[in-house]
Amino acid sequence: MARAAHPQAMQPKKPGTTRTAPPKMPDGFPGKGRYRTYVAFETTGLIYLLMGFIILRAIWQLGAGEAGWNGVMDAYRNPIMIGFHVLALVGVIFVGVRFFWLFPKAQPPRIGPVRPPPAAILKGMLYSVWIGTTLVMTWVLAGGAF
Amino acid sequence: MSDVQIKKFVVTRFDPDKDEVPRTDTFEVPCQSDWMVLDALNFIKDQLDGSLSYRWSCRMAVCGSCGMNVDGAPTLTCKSPLSSYGDTVEVTPLSNFPVIRDLVVELDGFMEKLKAVKPWIIRAKEKAVEEGPYRQSPEELEDFKQFSLCINCMLCYAACPVVGNEPDFIGPAAIALGYRYNLDSRDEGASERNAIFRGEGSVYSCSFANECSEVCPENVDPAAAINQAKLSGLVDWAASLVLPRGGKD
Amino acid sequence: MVETHRHDVVIVGGGAAGLRAAIAAVEADPNITVALVSKVYPMRSHTVSAEGGAAAVTREDDSFEMHGYDTVKGSDFLGDQDVIEYFVEQAPKELTLLEHWGCPWSRNEDGSVATRAFGGMSIKRTWYAADKVGFHMLHALFQHSMRFDRIVRYDEQFVTRLLIDDGQVRGVVALDIRQGTMRAFLGRSVILCTGGGGKIFPFTTNGNIKTGDGMALAYRAGVALKDMEFVQYHPTGLPGTGILITEATRGEGAYLKNKDGERFLVTRDYGVGSKAELGPRDLISRAMVQEFEAGRGFSGSYGEYLHLDLTHLGEEKINQRLPMVRELAKVYGGVDPVYEPIPVRPVVHYMMGGVDTDIDTATQLPGLYAAGETACVSLNGANRLGSNSLTECLVFGARSGEQALQFSKGADDGNERAVRAQAEEEQARIDQLRGKVKGGEKLARLRVDMNKTLESGCGVYRQEDSMQQTVRDIAQIKGRFADLALEDKSKVFNTELVSALELHNMLEIAEVVANSAASRKESRGAHTRRDAPTRDDQNCLYHTLCFFDPAGPRIEKKDVTLGTWVPEERKY
Repeated sequence: MARAAHPQAMQPKKPGTTRTAPPKMPDGFPGKGRYRTYVAFETTGLIYLLMGFIILRAIWQLGAGEAGWNGVMDAYRNPIMIGFHVLALVGVIFVGVRFFWLFPKAQPPRIGPVRPPPAAILKGMLYSVWIGTTLVMTWVLAGGAF
Repeated sequence: MSDVQIKKFVVTRFDPDKDEVPRTDTFEVPCQSDWMVLDALNFIKDQLDGSLSYRWSCRMAVCGSCGMNVDGAPTLTCKSPLSSYGDTVEVTPLSNFPVIRDLVVELDGFMEKLKAVKPWIIRAKEKAVEEGPYRQSPEELEDFKQFSLCINCMLCYAACPVVGNEPDFIGPAAIALGYRYNLDSRDEGASERNAIFRGEGSVYSCSFANECSEVCPENVDPAAAINQAKLSGLVDWAASLVLPRGGKD
Repeated sequence: MVETHRHDVVIVGGGAAGLRAAIAAVEADPNITVALVSKVYPMRSHTVSAEGGAAAVTREDDSFEMHGYDTVKGSDFLGDQDVIEYFVEQAPKELTLLEHWGCPWSRNEDGSVATRAFGGMSIKRTWYAADKVGFHMLHALFQHSMRFDRIVRYDEQFVTRLLIDDGQVRGVVALDIRQGTMRAFLGRSVILCTGGGGKIFPFTTNGNIKTGDGMALAYRAGVALKDMEFVQYHPTGLPGTGILITEATRGEGAYLKNKDGERFLVTRDYGVGSKAELGPRDLISRAMVQEFEAGRGFSGSYGEYLHLDLTHLGEEKINQRLPMVRELAKVYGGVDPVYEPIPVRPVVHYMMGGVDTDIDTATQLPGLYAAGETACVSLNGANRLGSNSLTECLVFGARSGEQALQFSKGADDGNERAVRAQAEEEQARIDQLRGKVKGGEKLARLRVDMNKTLESGCGVYRQEDSMQQTVRDIAQIKGRFADLALEDKSKVFNTELVSALELHNMLEIAEVVANSAASRKESRGAHTRRDAPTRDDQNCLYHTLCFFDPAGPRIEKKDVTLGTWVPEERKY
């Protein structure tokens, strides 16, 4: 059974002349069927919120000097933290893929006389930038730049 | 004729004079192999129960009357072959809409939303008919043509997770049709409509679930229109900060 | 108590003609209001299904004379020539207005509006928006109409009767389908724009809503229906469903082929000459039936059919010009026209006849106007040319809006109490019909019997005995209608009640079609008799008028308005 929607959903401002059965949310929303991917996409927001707290805490700990930093590093070796970061990685990839899938259609048909490239090329560009950035970051973090 | 297969139809019934809440009826229908879902409903209406109520007319996917949920998915019933469904088919009224009777939903809410986006050509000065048609290149036509193909079948509203939660949201079809005029080279009303898009029930309510475009039987891609309108509304707004008189002219 | 709404002009029907009439009326006077009363939301109107295009003289190498002559010849010289001259002159202006209102017409490279070839037209003069012309025109008109608050829409109101007092129309009374109660829409003039009634036939391109309601309303009120024997078969509908495959396919170069792969319109003499596939619809439909009779058709589960071959046009052209045809053929015909021919057969498409009006769209009943397929202004005569009807809706829709407004300004409100009493009577009649459980007849059976007899008596080819049989059959089915049983007693959105009222209307016009057909003793345009195969200008160059009479339909004759073009043999 579908859940109830907002009772005013798609109601005209001037109410109809006969009693209606209240609107229902789309079938399966939020947890089942076609909406699962979309809801999962939205839920990844929670991961980034948590991630934000973790980073904030890490920065805060820097105030405590080298001991604080080592504490943060120790905490990151905790299996729960590793699990969380793996989850976050999966979430980011998922969001990236979905975002890149939808991004081309959000482009205006043209800006002045210039048309955006075809969806496939646009997607290719996005993926190249993503993968490129990841490689550069990995190289930098691995100490390659210093 | 073609092969016949018996299918069971579980159909929502609701008569406000008799039923407190919607209920279901089950019908067994001998379906021909080339039938659409609508053909089975017409069989029920003609042969089994004359009181079943639903809207239909053109039976060629252009009038937009016969949208319903079939097995939970918003569907244009005249365009959906029964062969792609199982032995039991569930037909319910479109979600997100108040139900008037059986499979008939309230459309006036949409009519208000459509009118609100000013879906007509806005000009500072109307062109006189004696001056003949506007020039519009095939490329300029291509800019908006896709969004002009909406048949107002309401499947997009039924699929949208935002529509059911935010009653003010203008919603997919109406935004696509308003935005279609923004893209029309003959129109000069884009900033007026963008202000509407930013106002009550704004385009920014859309969380890009993309379900409207998934169910659209005419490949209008209303999600594209909405998300393009978000950007163009933003650009317009920013321009209005710099050029207080509205950014255009 | 019947709820009452008063406006200056009441328009019944929200398709192209009705919307155009409403816009014309409110644009002509900033102080009036118009009621737009429709049994469906306007964008559901059957204009939406028109595919091919709308004709008007806009090219340098075209002329009013050429469009006029094509139309007169297409009509088999039964069109009124003053009407045709007015029509061709107004057509360019009306299509331009639609362009200004946002209709997405297809374009040439230089940005001008593109034109395509159409059957019976001597030059490419048909404007198009891919192959969804009716859809785009309807939505452009509907969306444009939304800017006028003075066009007050009453959606899903099924008009059941004209309110007449003191010899003048005073409004209409309608069933509010949602509420199940009656509403009276009072106005000093009324325009009928309810479309045709193709659903009296079993195989038709027409949607379910096309039940001849406006024709029946006028007919019962004593207004004549004119030239109702002329029913157009469109050559290319899908077998089974009857879904329209537009003539624009042939305009773009498609071929009709028989089972030997032969382009019979080229290889055999069917009177279409070098026009071949671009001959007028009546001639091509007859040619197709003759191919069936000669055993050169394919046979399938829905009877015989022929092939409409687009394969040589190429995928790009089909996608660009005929995207809807491709989609329809795939979904409803099971073939992809890029690679395979489409199975087609002649199918009932359009009624040339309708409510008798003069060139100003006025009927014989003061205050009552009609436009579009409902009306017979005598533009189309005995056979309509493809792409003239959408333009007709605009030209005469606009005319009716202006004329009805003029009338409204000079008329009084009449005796409101008398018309309210009529509305109350109508409420009682409808209440009685709703949930009339006692009776031995079912809606669907009556409808099927009506469909069958119409096809056997008033099909592509007709003859005396079968037409007379149909006349008798329809009278008998009308009798059986009194014994109709309905299951749905509910007030709210009772579609069975609406279907019963529609069937009543259909039986009325079916009777008129059959009687008008039986009365015409010649072959002309779409009315082709095996027992009188030639046109007889000596005795039969007249319009058929059919009047309601309790004793049965009464036939009269009316002169055809001739002019520049003298009737001649119709050879292409």
